[in-house]
Amino acid sequence: MSALLRVEGATKRFAGIMALEDVSISVDAGERVGLIGPNGAGKTTFFNCMLGVITMDRGRVELEGADLTNRPVYDRAKAGIGRTFQRLELFPDTTVRDHLFVAERIRRGHGGLWRDILGLGRPRADEIARCDEVLELLRLGDLAEEPIERLSLGQCRLVEVGRALMTDPKVLLLDEPSSGLDRAETDALAVTLREVQAEHGFAILLVEHDVELVSSFTERSYVLDFGKLILDGPTADVLASDVVRAAYLGDLEPAS
Amino acid sequence: MVIDAAIGTDLFQALLQGVPPGAVYALVAVGFVLTYKTSGVFNLAFGAQAYVSAALFFMAVENWGWSALPAFVLSVVIVAPALGLALERLIFRYLRTAGAVPKLVVTIGLSVAIPALFDLIVSFKAVAGKTPQGIMPDGSNVFYDPFGVYPFSRNELAAMVIVLVATAGLGALFKFSALGLQMQAVVESPRMTELNGIAADRVSAFAWMLSSLFAGLAGVLIAPRFNTLVAPDYFNLVVVAIAAAAIGKLVSLPKALAGGLGLGVLIALLNTFMPRWVETLPWLEPIQDNVTPAIPFIVLFAVLVFVPSIRRATDAGDPLADVDPPAQSLGAIVKDRRAVIITTAVWVAVLVAIGGVVFSRGDQRWLFLVTQAVVLAIIFLSITVMTGLAGQISLCQGAFAAVGAFTVFQMVERYNMPVTGAAIIGGFVAAAVGAVLSLPIRRLGGIWTAIATLAFAYFFDAVLVRLPFVGGGEKALLAGTDVPRPVIGPWDFENDKLFLGLCIVVLVLVALAVRQIQGGTLGRVLVALRGSEVGAASIGISPARARLMAFAISAFIAGLGGALLAMLAGDVNYGATFSPFVALFWVVIVVTIGSRTVSGAIIAGAAFTLFDAVILKGAFLEWILRDKDLVPGIFPISPKWIFVLFGLGTIQYARHPEGALEHRRRRIAAKRAKKAEGAGPSAGGDAVIDVSDPPEAITVNEAEAVT
Repeated sequence: MSALLRVEGATKRFAGIMALEDVSISVDAGERVGLIGPNGAGKTTFFNCMLGVITMDRGRVELEGADLTNRPVYDRAKAGIGRTFQRLELFPDTTVRDHLFVAERIRRGHGGLWRDILGLGRPRADEIARCDEVLELLRLGDLAEEPIERLSLGQCRLVEVGRALMTDPKVLLLDEPSSGLDRAETDALAVTLREVQAEHGFAILLVEHDVELVSSFTERSYVLDFGKLILDGPTADVLASDVVRAAYLGDLEPAS
Repeated sequence: MVIDAAIGTDLFQALLQGVPPGAVYALVAVGFVLTYKTSGVFNLAFGAQAYVSAALFFMAVENWGWSALPAFVLSVVIVAPALGLALERLIFRYLRTAGAVPKLVVTIGLSVAIPALFDLIVSFKAVAGKTPQGIMPDGSNVFYDPFGVYPFSRNELAAMVIVLVATAGLGALFKFSALGLQMQAVVESPRMTELNGIAADRVSAFAWMLSSLFAGLAGVLIAPRFNTLVAPDYFNLVVVAIAAAAIGKLVSLPKALAGGLGLGVLIALLNTFMPRWVETLPWLEPIQDNVTPAIPFIVLFAVLVFVPSIRRATDAGDPLADVDPPAQSLGAIVKDRRAVIITTAVWVAVLVAIGGVVFSRGDQRWLFLVTQAVVLAIIFLSITVMTGLAGQISLCQGAFAAVGAFTVFQMVERYNMPVTGAAIIGGFVAAAVGAVLSLPIRRLGGIWTAIATLAFAYFFDAVLVRLPFVGGGEKALLAGTDVPRPVIGPWDFENDKLFLGLCIVVLVLVALAVRQIQGGTLGRVLVALRGSEVGAASIGISPARARLMAFAISAFIAGLGGALLAMLAGDVNYGATFSPFVALFWVVIVVTIGSRTVSGAIIAGAAFTLFDAVILKGAFLEWILRDKDLVPGIFPISPKWIFVLFGLGTIQYARHPEGALEHRRRRIAAKRAKKAEGAGPSAGGDAVIDVSDPPEAITVNEAEAVT
């Protein structure tokens, strides 16, 4: 069986520093996969390469067998790669629903300047209904009309998830969703994500620092260190391995 | 081809000829990079600072009869650093955490406000044709010819020596003094520097003084090259400086120095060696004649387009950049339908009342002014689309408008086409120019769009306007660029009242279209893009396509407005109406009043033409008092105050990019919400981010307070 998302030999060098060296992963449909590693291991760079925000020096990105390597960011998004951001990338001066609505409109492709000028570009009832459906699922229903500036960080992360969901992603890349959240918020986020995934059935690739979230949420994990893939396997085994303890958990011990 | 023995001499001569102006360019470039490096401010007002010193020097020598040395000390050694210090202390110090674009907008405002304010304070008036003196007595007329190929004037020699001393001094400062080291540290990260116990403030203030000193030096040294001392030439100078600095990616002082010298020499070389194809291809002549002064703009544009890493020079900047909370935002108001209808009705009523008075009682002058306000409001709607909606600062709206105006002129002149059709074609030609221009710069974004469009505006100004099939060439210089009024069916718009009516109809149509775009797909896509490019791309929005649309629509509106403006005046009148420095003020006034709303553009249009006539000239008081003699003696106030007022108004853009108008509305809404609600926000949220001052936040159900 061929994987849903496959990245092969991703390599990226920044001014002499090897940020990624020959990293290959694959994610199957409906799977929840973790990608962990210490600070500076190259996790976010890898995400950016998959999305095309950064051009890889070498490597290949495939979704459902189609080669996306040389396609621009928005094309990959349309092909079915959704993502959230560690540093929020929201749209100021708009409401929560606006975030979802613009994604929905783009997915449907009902654009066009003339339609706008003739007043046909305004939100339609069925589009709003679909946005609200997703907002309910994320428990953001009450905040639909709220300006994005007034939301808490946790709520903002959920808005990013909702916005990505509107594109009907086949795989959702979550970039450190727990960063800036406390334990309770992280747990709530995990519960919500699980529900949403059950509903929509996409795959999830989770980049995370929070070990608890990774171990409870993912089935399988990859470990990156210094731009190289050092281990992969079932999450429980990976987290128990000495290599990972040395490279990753070792860093955390004084803190916990 | 026979190689001429003289070619070596020519080459040497061109080199020598290029060094003196190159040295001054280098000075400006170095000064520019200094501010950019130490405070992150892309200082377009640098030219204005240079102007102040140059004009003060000119006044001291010409009007007060000072000799060169004390005049130099006053204008360059005392006033220039003081101005730099004032800018840092009063303005930029408070904008440290603002984004690059808001800071740029503030400097655009300052480059309009500073020269006007200076002229007002010392009552300086440019004297046409009066060539400014250099710093050496009789400096332009005494020559020395050390190599026997090119005679340097005394002024040029003095300029080269001063530049050499200044840059060597700066180099030594950086290399040997603690202050230089601290300056470098501040460049890396002001906050990091402060954590190490160094007052980044003081270092940055010193850098501003130093860079302003360089600006002043350059201003005085370059003055003899202009035949009249006026502010726009100095704004032009800063574009040259950016081009020179861009060669060093805007951060390297030695490379900026080399870039400046290189530009000077390149221009001289082209002047000497550019082949002449005039006999075979006569249409090339205007390009050949004008391309050399446009070299800096071409270089700048090319560097921006072909050296993408220049953009990252700043992005990589401060490792602690994300530490500060974002500027406080009140959040958008969610508009209640009823409130919108009421507001619109009030608006329409006021406008109809004004229109009624103008139509029934206005004399020719007032009709002209009101029509001009209406047409400018149309042009300003192009800025609403570009800046308000798409979040891009474009400094070439004047060029777009001129394209529309010239198209009408050409279509009528050459093909005797009906004026109405020609105006619409003008809009489409402008849209095509906008769309094509957006292609190479589609990935730039932020301040780089502003700089690239500025380079284009100057290229248009220096070269394209002079082409026979654009500006009419030499024939137009003699015969003018006549543009007739349209005739549609039974209406002949030679009648000023009818023409005003036509302009109002066009304004209403364009305003409605802009409103529809704001509420439709494109508007939402552009707002998303404005907020976060990568966020927008992650949901399938193509930034390049959306920007192309924004450029094309904005250019169409500007072109249409430009065509109407030419019809109103009966002439394109490029220099006074559409030139880059004039159009710079368009952006300033719209951004100050409010670039995000249609009403902002309309008020800005009114302010642009009527503020002077109604308020500053005292007509308003005259109407109220009903007696000309009762109007206080301070009227008429100089029209330059409008530049000072709105130029300085851009400072608030850094905190409130929505503009004065919208910000006031939001504040009122927020206050009412607070009063009605009593305690905290209703969002049920935990920590409220972005809104650092929760009591000012707005609740949805109170939005009807917005009227």
